[in-house]
Amino acid sequence: MAEQSDILAEPTGRDFSIRSIINNAGIGLALLGLILFFSIFTEHFLNPNNITNILTQITINLILAVGMTFVILVGGIDLSVGSVMAFAAVVAGKAITLPGFGPTEVILLACIAAVTAGFVCGLLNGLITSYWALPSFIITLGMLNIARGAALHVSNAQTIYSFPFAFEEFGSAQIYGVPVVFLVALALVLLAWFVLNRTVFGRLLYGIGNNEEAVRLAGHPVFWYKVAAFTICGLTAGIAAVVYMARLNIASPIAGIGFELNAIAAVIIGGTSLSGGRGSVIGTLLGAFIIGVLANGLILIGLSDFMRQMITGVVIIIAVILDYYRARYAKK
Amino acid sequence: MVAVQPIGEQTSQDTDNLLSVTGLKKHFGGVKALDGVNFSLKPGEVHALVGENGAGKSTLIKVLSGVFPFDAGEITLDGAPYAPANPHHAKTHGVQVVHQEFNLLDHLSVAENISIEAMPKTRFGLLDRTEMNRRARVALDAIGLRDVDVCATVQSLGIAHRQLIEIARALQSESTILILDEPTATLTERETKRLFEIVQSIKAKGVTIVFVSHHLNEVFAICDRVTIFRNGKTITTENISDTTPAGVVRHMVGRKLAEEMEHGVELHTRGDIALGIKDLCVVQNPYDTGISFDLHYGEVLGIAGLVGAGRTELLRGVFGIDPLRSGTIERDGTPVKFKGPRDAIAAGIGFVTEDRKDEGLILEMPIAANISLANMRNVSASGLLRFFKEKQQAREGGKRLKLKYGKITDPASSLSGGNQQKVVLAKWLARNPKILILDEPTRGVDVGAKAEIYAILKGLVREGVALLIVSSEMPELMTLSDRILVLADHQIKGELERSEFSEENILKLAYGQNTNAEGIS
Repeated sequence: MAEQSDILAEPTGRDFSIRSIINNAGIGLALLGLILFFSIFTEHFLNPNNITNILTQITINLILAVGMTFVILVGGIDLSVGSVMAFAAVVAGKAITLPGFGPTEVILLACIAAVTAGFVCGLLNGLITSYWALPSFIITLGMLNIARGAALHVSNAQTIYSFPFAFEEFGSAQIYGVPVVFLVALALVLLAWFVLNRTVFGRLLYGIGNNEEAVRLAGHPVFWYKVAAFTICGLTAGIAAVVYMARLNIASPIAGIGFELNAIAAVIIGGTSLSGGRGSVIGTLLGAFIIGVLANGLILIGLSDFMRQMITGVVIIIAVILDYYRARYAKK
Repeated sequence: MVAVQPIGEQTSQDTDNLLSVTGLKKHFGGVKALDGVNFSLKPGEVHALVGENGAGKSTLIKVLSGVFPFDAGEITLDGAPYAPANPHHAKTHGVQVVHQEFNLLDHLSVAENISIEAMPKTRFGLLDRTEMNRRARVALDAIGLRDVDVCATVQSLGIAHRQLIEIARALQSESTILILDEPTATLTERETKRLFEIVQSIKAKGVTIVFVSHHLNEVFAICDRVTIFRNGKTITTENISDTTPAGVVRHMVGRKLAEEMEHGVELHTRGDIALGIKDLCVVQNPYDTGISFDLHYGEVLGIAGLVGAGRTELLRGVFGIDPLRSGTIERDGTPVKFKGPRDAIAAGIGFVTEDRKDEGLILEMPIAANISLANMRNVSASGLLRFFKEKQQAREGGKRLKLKYGKITDPASSLSGGNQQKVVLAKWLARNPKILILDEPTRGVDVGAKAEIYAILKGLVREGVALLIVSSEMPELMTLSDRILVLADHQIKGELERSEFSEENILKLAYGQNTNAEGIS
């Protein structure tokens, strides 16, 4: 059979990524179009300082969106990431201002505290959602309130500040104009890509998003895989908290309000299906860029922040409509 | 094989026909779904459409019911040209379809489902529940469903009843042509019989019926004429009285597969007990007595029974999917407890589920990924996927099962029903299971693939694998099994050895009274 020898020359892995490249091509083109548009119609868009600015601005959303991609791929949603980020930041802020430790120690302690707080919130989201098979929309809506309340409670509704200098330095450090915090986000994207595309775990997450029962009947512990997806999302909220603190040098209990919606928007614009099973973290990266470039470019062009918000909304709706056609095309 | 007729007679025949289709063509991109279909319906007949999956039957139905437009050809209905623009248009012309997939709203009542196309209203424009329930009652009574409560939700009914409710709904509005697309695919013999009585009564009212089925015995039981499809073309139309099932199969497959399928009788040498089931009670079982049987290596144990007899529940219980109320399972003589499918799989058991779309396959994923789903260890090393190994495993599995595919990385949804089922089989065979449980192994599979699947299963048994098969198709069970257990009401009503196999014997046991079970409890 002629086809069979063709298959030999074509590894499944490459085929997967070819398909994801084609899927992402449209989003990439949209992003290029936006960049082109703003560089023609504004003076400062391509200015290196402005590019650094954009990269800094999208970093937190990108980190949150990476975790969100895992949850959405298994057919869930996590509305709590913004609050969880604030909670993790406040906990870390408490740790970092502990007296009697050296700067390296408190920074380390703060990082561990933030990541642990995120981990625990994500784990709870996952356990409750999976154990009772409840809609994650509601459970994480509950967690949104719990984490926000906890953040206010722990901090006495006060903003925590005065962090070690080294921490501030990390937040504003650049390598050839690229913010280090952005590189952290990029590393997370690559790690997530590897996990989703090259590991059994990632493959089964896609499988669960498409057909949970088939994966369960094939003998896989679907329960724990779903818990893991939510936990990863919580973890990224913890990491985002660290980055947020390093950048702004404060830990505010009212940080991150509405961040979950931006993260979801990045994932959806990036072509991941809200019903799960289809999408990629590279798409999420592009989606976060589209949101960031739009926000930046529209301000440079002189539009009000209100207009910017409206246009971002339109883009989300267009992305979902495009996804509808993509799904129909994929079925044929 | 259209006979050349004098011109005068030709026209008179055309006016006799209720519907005639000539030279119908329909392309989807480069795929010729219909490539010259000629077909006619005489008023008041039951006309069968047969052919392998993908032969064009469903596409023709969709064209006739206004789902797709057609590219070329001509359709006349009652002597006037007919080109329905949408399903509603088709309905106003009296063409009704009962689709293979159900279109019922699960959470609504039977009455609401039946009236969904035209809800009765009161003077004030509100929903007239009394009238709605009355209409539903009339519609159900018309097809003999007197025992169904119109206020019950569809969800609470079995698959067979849902099918009949679809028919009731279709018949409620004036219809001249009723198209039944594989209505018996999910029915047991008893329900099929009931459906046939209903078909006969509808026919008596002057409705013309188009009947699509993979089961030739059904076609020969109730149809007047049969049109055979192959590769998007109609091969011939014959009067049922002038042809035989073997003749129809030859037209369908274009090769003599029929004989191959009948070579079933083959006695296996029974090995040790692979699986001992003792007094197993599933949660749904209303009685205190459970089910006991032994499954030996190298044998095929068939399980027969009507829908609701507890066949699928038994398999799910054995495989650890649903919790058990009581009972023990012994694997190679050692008692085991399966907390989930994972444990059953580890014990060398595979489960080919009834519903490949919902439970067996991940349709959007590549064929190779589907085959490795239960075999992640074979295709990975410390949690990382080895794509080359995965492909290799899929290619080997595909070759063993004569899987027909484009590329091994195409999504499973690109395959025909028979080939999808082979992918499910390949998934389990790649583990080399010692025991394979199959629930309706050839549902919705065409004749050719069916024969191939039978051959694969027989090969497995020869290698010593123990097979436990549930099927609603009695010929299938009798072809494959060494023994058949008949279930009713979650109880074993009898065991038949090969020499005792007959549809009559199975049915007698399946319809048996409950006296047995009650006596024991």
